[in-house]
Amino acid sequence: MKWITHRLFAATLLGAASFGVANAQEQPIKFGLLQDFTAVYTFVSGEYNQGQRDYLTLVNQEGGVDGHTFEAIVRDTGNQPQRGIEAYNRAREEGAILFDFLSTPVSRALVDSVLKDKVVMITPVHGRGDASDGEVFQYVFPTMATYWSQATVLARYIEDHGGLEGKRIALVHIDSPFGREPLPVLQDLAAEKKFELKAFGYPSPGNEQSAVWSEVRRFRPDNVLIWGAGGGQPVSVREAIRNGIPAENILSVVWLAETDAKNVGADIMKGVKRFEAVSTGTDNPILQRIKAKVIDPGLGAGDAAHVGTSYYNIGVATMAVAVEAARNALKSEGGPLTGEKLKAGFEQIKDFSAEGLMPALTITAKDHQGGGAGRVSQWNGEAWEPVSDWGPAYQELVQKEITKGSQAFREGK
Amino acid sequence: MSYFVELVINGALTGLMYSLVAIGFVLIYKSAGVPNLAQGAVVMTAAYVVWLLASLGLPIIVAIVLGTVLMFGFGLLTERLLLRRMVGQPVIMIVMLTLGLEILLRGIGPGLLGAAPKSLDLGIGLGPVIIGDVFINRAYLVGGVVALALIGAALMFFQTRLGIKLRAVSDDHVSSWAVGISVERAVGISWGIAGISSVAAGVLWGSVQGVDWTLSTLLFPAVAVAILGGIDSIWGVLIGGLLVGILGSVIPGYLDAVVGGGTRDVVTSLIILLTIMIRPYGIFGREDIERI
Amino acid sequence: MFYRMAGVYHTRYDRARALWPVPADRWQIIVVFALALAAPFYLSDLYLGSYALPWLIWSAATLSLTLLMGLAGQLHFGFAAVMAIGAYTSIHLARLGIPFELALLGAGIAAALIGALFGAAALRVKGLYLVMATLAMQYLVDWVINNVPAISGGAQATLRTPPASFLLVSLESLEVRYYLALVWAVLLAVFFMNIKRTSFGRALVAIRDKDFAAAVIGIDPFRYKLLAFFTSSFVGGVSGALLAFCYYRAVTPEQFGFNVSIQLVAMVLVGGLGSVIGGFLGAGFVLLVPIILTNLVSGLAASGFLTVSSNLLAHLPLMIYGALIIGFLIFEPLGLAKIYDNIRKYFLVWPFRHSRS
Repeated sequence: MKWITHRLFAATLLGAASFGVANAQEQPIKFGLLQDFTAVYTFVSGEYNQGQRDYLTLVNQEGGVDGHTFEAIVRDTGNQPQRGIEAYNRAREEGAILFDFLSTPVSRALVDSVLKDKVVMITPVHGRGDASDGEVFQYVFPTMATYWSQATVLARYIEDHGGLEGKRIALVHIDSPFGREPLPVLQDLAAEKKFELKAFGYPSPGNEQSAVWSEVRRFRPDNVLIWGAGGGQPVSVREAIRNGIPAENILSVVWLAETDAKNVGADIMKGVKRFEAVSTGTDNPILQRIKAKVIDPGLGAGDAAHVGTSYYNIGVATMAVAVEAARNALKSEGGPLTGEKLKAGFEQIKDFSAEGLMPALTITAKDHQGGGAGRVSQWNGEAWEPVSDWGPAYQELVQKEITKGSQAFREGK
Repeated sequence: MSYFVELVINGALTGLMYSLVAIGFVLIYKSAGVPNLAQGAVVMTAAYVVWLLASLGLPIIVAIVLGTVLMFGFGLLTERLLLRRMVGQPVIMIVMLTLGLEILLRGIGPGLLGAAPKSLDLGIGLGPVIIGDVFINRAYLVGGVVALALIGAALMFFQTRLGIKLRAVSDDHVSSWAVGISVERAVGISWGIAGISSVAAGVLWGSVQGVDWTLSTLLFPAVAVAILGGIDSIWGVLIGGLLVGILGSVIPGYLDAVVGGGTRDVVTSLIILLTIMIRPYGIFGREDIERI
Repeated sequence: MFYRMAGVYHTRYDRARALWPVPADRWQIIVVFALALAAPFYLSDLYLGSYALPWLIWSAATLSLTLLMGLAGQLHFGFAAVMAIGAYTSIHLARLGIPFELALLGAGIAAALIGALFGAAALRVKGLYLVMATLAMQYLVDWVINNVPAISGGAQATLRTPPASFLLVSLESLEVRYYLALVWAVLLAVFFMNIKRTSFGRALVAIRDKDFAAAVIGIDPFRYKLLAFFTSSFVGGVSGALLAFCYYRAVTPEQFGFNVSIQLVAMVLVGGLGSVIGGFLGAGFVLLVPIILTNLVSGLAASGFLTVSSNLLAHLPLMIYGALIIGFLIFEPLGLAKIYDNIRKYFLVWPFRHSRS
């Protein structure tokens, strides 16, 4: 792809000219997007990664940050830790200072390396919850609501719409560490708000869940939280509706998107709610600029139909945050950027909302999650429609879990 | 009580859905002695093929019929190009070849058509069939009926002239050659038929969970069905499917709450293990007698 | 030419029985060994830590499995579970403050005991049924690890290895870990080359070829099958522990899942059933080819030779890898070791065309 280098070169020149800084020879800032495109995370990684790359292209098209351009190193890890480790070490040699693995096993295998090598790892909406503790996980940045915060935002929504007390809430989850992750926070909340919580696990990968839902129905839940990903999610929604649970009472973790709605049936799924960390659609000015400056000239990284979908926009938002951090770092620490400088840049992010794409984000040295805000949106038959305002919920409970987890990590467990 | 009945009925239907995948596995093993561990990936391929045809604007029925023809050809080709070259090799080499085929298919399908799950709408309503307090999954009901029909068709097929030839081939390759039966053709045809059955499995499962690579993970329960029923028996697919489905639904239905985790995979694994330890040839399978 | 047989006279039986009777082979081994010893001095951290180190540990694991599959003829599709038992045992022991050397031993023993249980199935069945039985056991072990927080390490299901040292040398530096893996792989290779000359090894081969016939000539299949599972699981467990301590440095259940078992079997088969060099070549192939293909394909795409969608780009290595496995099995079912052997035999008599041995 010679044109990419040409374009980068041209963009750099352009940037240099417009900012009057003659550093065209300067290395681009490299981000390692080493994700799983062929195994477990295929339901999200394609669109997510496309969003990330398109945003970086947009930034480069607009002249970069102070003349610095960005380059994405994209590799498939197949969700295998050994391939992730190789890709990480290789990308690090090529000079990448920020990594996004979008894979639980790979991220977990590399947490220690990242902390030791002093490069930034972002784990937006998917990573381990206790990594929010910036004092222990110095170079790990969830940057968006973790699963714990997602659970509390969903619970707050139920509280605001009819109250939690005396309610019966079912958590139907995939039987894996990811599926069980919201349990401790929800249990604390159940004790505090006096509602009845029951967890139902279905075996991975979740393409068959009928027995579990027979049990859920007999629990007669007022609300159902579904906690899965990929192929298991449409099955969960279908089984819930089939078992007479009104669509409005189904609330999902962040992993429920347009493709799932298509699989369930766009009309059938009408009313289902989910957690949302980034707004969908193409109304946002950033998405408009991507359309005008990246997609229309044919520089997009994939199918133009994906622009504006849930996972695409999450990808855009992650890179918007990363570029903002690089901007801060360049301003306060100066170039060329290193992992340490970029970390400092992340910790200076204040009230950043990517022009309204996401809730205002403030990252501090202590809080790498950035507040844990999100909102609930509802499928209206064609698109996701927000039904609550941006905001965090019950962060004191989440904080308790964070401290517990990071304490254990600090002690080497 | 109604809880138990519901678990049994939905479990039995789920089991029949697994039988749909297992039947192809059994057919190939019966005729060629090849344990086709790529059967899950073949099911996935069938679902992709039907989805592709449907997305070209064909009505779903036409797409399924055309997909059946294509998958029959796919089965024939796989046998001719790959498996026939492995005749006479140890079983482990053949197992590995089918695993290689699985990797290849899992690259080709999602690679060419996109990795995000595709929807395959058969027009089966979502509302359950309600009898008293028992909710029956409509999609599974359709799947169960199709599975029964396919198993019935397979049983009848083995009474036809061609079917008797296939049975002779499954008894003994050399004696079949001796009486003038073309073993190659018979084995090829059984691969073709397995391709056809994979269309039924792929379409029904695809409509339930969406079409993506996870369809290939259906192999594991299907193998449990085949082992329990007897790896070379069509009746075994039926009974094995019902048993695996019912046990895998009823036991977790009562045990999960106690253990606090999804126990279905444990039940399936234990079924395989116990069958192998107690009666390796399954319920209906033929016992191999080994001579020195 | 390179493998000159001229001038090689075996005047004593033990010379003729040497591991490498041909001097060229001996030289080759010495050169390879010297290269492996010097690797930390000429390889960058990237190649040492992400290629050489995992290659050695996986080769050790492959050799462990080869002992069972190649020598004793017992198929095993749940070997990753055995390695998982080793890894988890060693990590829990080390966390209790037990020295790493003893923890390794404990890992081997725990893996061997539970691995021998896998062997119970082998006493009853063989072939495909054994494949299925071991596969089912893999699922059971996975489930137990996943569902017992005391084993997997609580909510995050991640256990980090505590700082450890081997014979007073800390495992902190990459070089030390590389040498530890090298020692283990060499030890296993030597063990494996010699086991075929012992009565134990010959008994295993007899059972592989026909267990009834072996029973007739006085080899107790019950005893030797169990012993084969025991030995192979022991070394497999230690390899699993080394994988955790030297390479991953944190264990999660996914590192030892069902697909890893399949990869191990692929390593054994692609390398060539029952050969030492095949163990190394097979492990290298299965471990490194997907990585190399991924880098190659994206390199080609970056330089403009390959203009396809990024989705197809990600799946291309998978397709090529699957096709390569199929190709190898069809064109050389005896694996990479046989290909090596063919080349060696060709050069043995080069420039002439026919070889004797």
